[in-house]
Amino acid sequence: MGVMAMGTMLADLCRVLGLWRRRWPVLLLAVGVTVVSALAGLALMTLAGRAVSHEVAALSGAAAGGAGLLLLPWLRPLLIGRPGLRWGERMATHAAAFRALADTRVWFFSRLAERLPGGIGHGRAGDLLGRIVADVEALDGLYLRALVPLAAGAAVVVAAALILGAISPLLAVLVTLPLACALALPPLLAPIAARAAKGAAAAEGRLRDAVVDPLAGLEDTLANNAEATAILRVEAAAARLTAAQRGLARRNALAGAAGALLGQGALLGALGFGIAGGEGALWGAVLGAFLALAAAEPFAGLPRAGIAIATAGASARRLFLAADRPVPVPDPVATVAAPAGHALRIEGVRFAWAADRGEVFAGLDMEVPEGAHVALLGPSGAGKSSLIALLTKLAAPSAGRILIGGVDIAGLPAAAVRGKFAVLSQDARLFDDSIAANLRLAAPDADDAALFGALDRAGIGDLIRALPEGLQTRCGEGGARFSGGQVRRIALARALVCAAPILLLDEPAAGLDAAAELAFLATLETAAAGRTVLLLQHRLIGPFRPQKLFRLVAGRALPGLG
Amino acid sequence: MNQALTERPAKPARRRRSGANAARGLLAATARGQRRTLSLAVALGTCGILVALAQALLTARLLAALLGHGAAEWGDLAAIAALVLVQAGLAIAQDRMQTAAGAAARAGLRGRAMAALFAAGPADSRQIGEKASLVIDRIEALDGHFARWLPAAALAILGPLLAVALATWADPLSGLILAVAVLLVPVAMAFTGIGAAVASRRQFAALEALSGRFLDRMRGLPAIVLFRREAAEAGAMAEAADDLRRRTMKVLRVAFLSATALEALFAAALACMAFRHAALLTGGHPDPVAAILCLLLVPVAFAPLRAFSAAYHERSAAEGAATALAPLLATPETHGLLLEEIPPSVVVTFDRVGLRHDPGLPPALEDISFRVLPGESLVLVGPSGAGKSSILRLLMGFSAPSSGRIALNGREAAALRPAEVRRLSAWVGQRAHLFRATIAENIALARPGATRAAVEAAARDARVIDFAKGLPRGLDTMVGEGGFGLSGGQAQRVAIARAFLRDAPLLLLDEPTAHLDPGTEAEVLDSLRRLAAGRTTVMATHSPAVAARFGRVMRLEEGRFVEQAKWA
Repeated sequence: MGVMAMGTMLADLCRVLGLWRRRWPVLLLAVGVTVVSALAGLALMTLAGRAVSHEVAALSGAAAGGAGLLLLPWLRPLLIGRPGLRWGERMATHAAAFRALADTRVWFFSRLAERLPGGIGHGRAGDLLGRIVADVEALDGLYLRALVPLAAGAAVVVAAALILGAISPLLAVLVTLPLACALALPPLLAPIAARAAKGAAAAEGRLRDAVVDPLAGLEDTLANNAEATAILRVEAAAARLTAAQRGLARRNALAGAAGALLGQGALLGALGFGIAGGEGALWGAVLGAFLALAAAEPFAGLPRAGIAIATAGASARRLFLAADRPVPVPDPVATVAAPAGHALRIEGVRFAWAADRGEVFAGLDMEVPEGAHVALLGPSGAGKSSLIALLTKLAAPSAGRILIGGVDIAGLPAAAVRGKFAVLSQDARLFDDSIAANLRLAAPDADDAALFGALDRAGIGDLIRALPEGLQTRCGEGGARFSGGQVRRIALARALVCAAPILLLDEPAAGLDAAAELAFLATLETAAAGRTVLLLQHRLIGPFRPQKLFRLVAGRALPGLG
Repeated sequence: MNQALTERPAKPARRRRSGANAARGLLAATARGQRRTLSLAVALGTCGILVALAQALLTARLLAALLGHGAAEWGDLAAIAALVLVQAGLAIAQDRMQTAAGAAARAGLRGRAMAALFAAGPADSRQIGEKASLVIDRIEALDGHFARWLPAAALAILGPLLAVALATWADPLSGLILAVAVLLVPVAMAFTGIGAAVASRRQFAALEALSGRFLDRMRGLPAIVLFRREAAEAGAMAEAADDLRRRTMKVLRVAFLSATALEALFAAALACMAFRHAALLTGGHPDPVAAILCLLLVPVAFAPLRAFSAAYHERSAAEGAATALAPLLATPETHGLLLEEIPPSVVVTFDRVGLRHDPGLPPALEDISFRVLPGESLVLVGPSGAGKSSILRLLMGFSAPSSGRIALNGREAAALRPAEVRRLSAWVGQRAHLFRATIAENIALARPGATRAAVEAAARDARVIDFAKGLPRGLDTMVGEGGFGLSGGQAQRVAIARAFLRDAPLLLLDEPTAHLDPGTEAEVLDSLRRLAAGRTTVMATHSPAVAARFGRVMRLEEGRFVEQAKWA
């Protein structure tokens, strides 16, 4: 792992700490409790050892008797305080870490909403799920398994150095140097473990994809009897994850062994000092030995903090990679005032989704006057979805401009532009929530009567009224509890209930049967009275009589014959 | 024709066991497979404890020597150093064994869980995120049970036992003190552990709700953005995350309590040893080495208990996970007959078929009877929700009729395993799911092992080639989850190509052209007519144009046939 990568990891981890800024007081307080608790543990073992040693020495005539007994009363407060401190330490650190993590989750979601407004696409939903759930959880390792133990360890090293340094600087070096090395191990081990951690995290993401993809397309998988293929794929991905985890566990074990060795090294240093030294070395060595014994337990696990740092680093990198994509259409720095009107005008718009894909629009010109009902006809793939993306600032044209109420939308913030539209896109999804909650997405303050009004206009009000739970019926994931046509109508009601002045309807009647389609189009004119309607269809049928008609041909809109 | 549906009996269903028992049964059965690896890990751990005891003895002797009881030698220090090295080596070997046991225990469970989810099919209404969490997170949570809990539990008995034995040899009363302290540890843990198991299940429920919600919202992100509800949704997300935090803290509050009891017992044992030996020494201690040794034995005896305490939390997490997994994995193996070979043609007969999903709701289908012969097409029309899709789902084995019977070539369809029923048919739904793979791989899904030429022929028949030509890598272009990059109509044509490649005697079409424009629709219908030639076809549609081009039309309303007309 290069210096560059290490620098990136450090920068990522600092950025994670920055995201937690709001929680710093709680996080620091918890570290404080941990330090006090660690010092209490040190005092307990050292005091008990000192007391017994003193009497052992007295027995051989090396010290005056009874001095050790005088130390014993000091054990009592430690006896009570240490377990309580230990519990408080863990509760405080975990509570603080979880608060910080909740902030991270929300931050990540908001960033993605801003950067992937058009949907997940190639970004792999399964992998993203893994990112927010597993990677955010891995970040707690940075605090709980790295920063907190390192702070406690540092406090122990400083305390031991101060106590032993008062007796003999050499003794202080012999005991605290191995401990300080154990303290330095995590940052040194982190880059080595980082590669393994990255591999393990990526393997888990791939496993999640292998699991989610066939489940998302469950019917297609089953209909093609592709279960066995999907299971083989999951097992192969699981085997790769296990191999990656094994590599990580191996490094973990080595780090643990190194920590144990260094802890015991401190004990050996104290004992060696005692054997070698003459007068005065005796008490120093005994004190050093018991300090080392007390430190052995917290220090044994310390080098594993390196793996925690590495894991958190890898997770942070993946989180930031997803969260740092460019905003597809950044809001302009200087925005102009939102227009009062909402007449639409498209002038010479050119657009392609990617440089290597053909142009969807090659000089599109169109006008939709305020309050007009306009139909735009074109076969699938002619650019109807692209036009919605351009109008709602999910994408920006490479040339030309789009005006609302006479104002170029390039100068308006995306939220102001989207506020002008109520959109029913071809892939409009319902959320696994109640019908009411799904509709209130479009109109948060609408009352039940307004919701039913919209449902009636979409031709599904009676069916919802007949449901035992009515508006509170849950829709299931993607509206799975309803038929395709019913989902479409609820999505349509969601667009109708929205108060925005322009209705943008992409194949609103797809999935409806012919009778329902006719009925819907017949009511559309009254349902959308006073509002602008832009209807995107592949054909025009029945009673809807647009004031204007365009046909999308070869990336241009040609005025059609009404 | 009938003999083509020859049957061979499948394994009988396994019996279902109840909740916690089933969870423990699952863990025990899995542990049995790892007995050798686990025993080896425990043996290595025991060796490590013996070395630690020897090291404590040598250290005590050296300290006593320093304090004036005998001569302190460098050789003793070297012996201690050697023991330290041996112990480190043993620890690494033990860790490796435990990791191997955990990995081997989880292997295979994922495949079984996926198979069970497939067997449950669309009838399992859980969210995809929740299902994914079962297959991944729950099974991951089992790791701790095998890799840490089981070896730690064995060593937590052996380790303290050995330490107590050594302490008793040094000073019987110290041995008793240590024995009482270590015996109280499991008592305290059992007391706090019961609550932890319950709380752990709740925490998992919260984690799953969070995963499910996130995936659901990410899939519909455009709707959230277009209605400018990003901030509100982020707020709801924060609430869900906060809920998870509260639940997790509840689990930890109890889990930490058991660790705290351990800490208190450790401090008490240490203090008792100090009081005991300090008092003994002022009266002229019979053995000063024993005094220091007893003190050093306290951390040695408690080290395996600390590992046990850390793993205890994993045990309740694993049990929580196993409770959720056990019903899934114990789902009786789908029984039914297997097809020996796919018959060249199928006659579909519905005889007074009724279907009721929920006793509180009106039936989805009532008294449906029809027969479709090879080469014939039955077109189902009717308003949405009338039951068209229900008939197709019955033919796909996703549900079974609540009354009446469905016969394939005169044999009861219910006698076949659902997956076997599906082997008879090719299906094109309303919205094709494109898997994260190339277009060619997406088509080949229908018939594993199909040659490239066969895939290309199917792509040509379904007019996939027409648009694939314009893509950067033709049929080898990657298409994403949910079919990114292809329009709805294009994705649909890939699904039709699958049906061509599959070449099954029964063709099930669920509004296959619902999202196509008239030009494409006409082209695809031509392809479908060629595909339907000689096969038995059942199709649901809204489009009169479609109905007009296929054979017999039957109209459904509220789950019943209302008319039967031949549209010319």
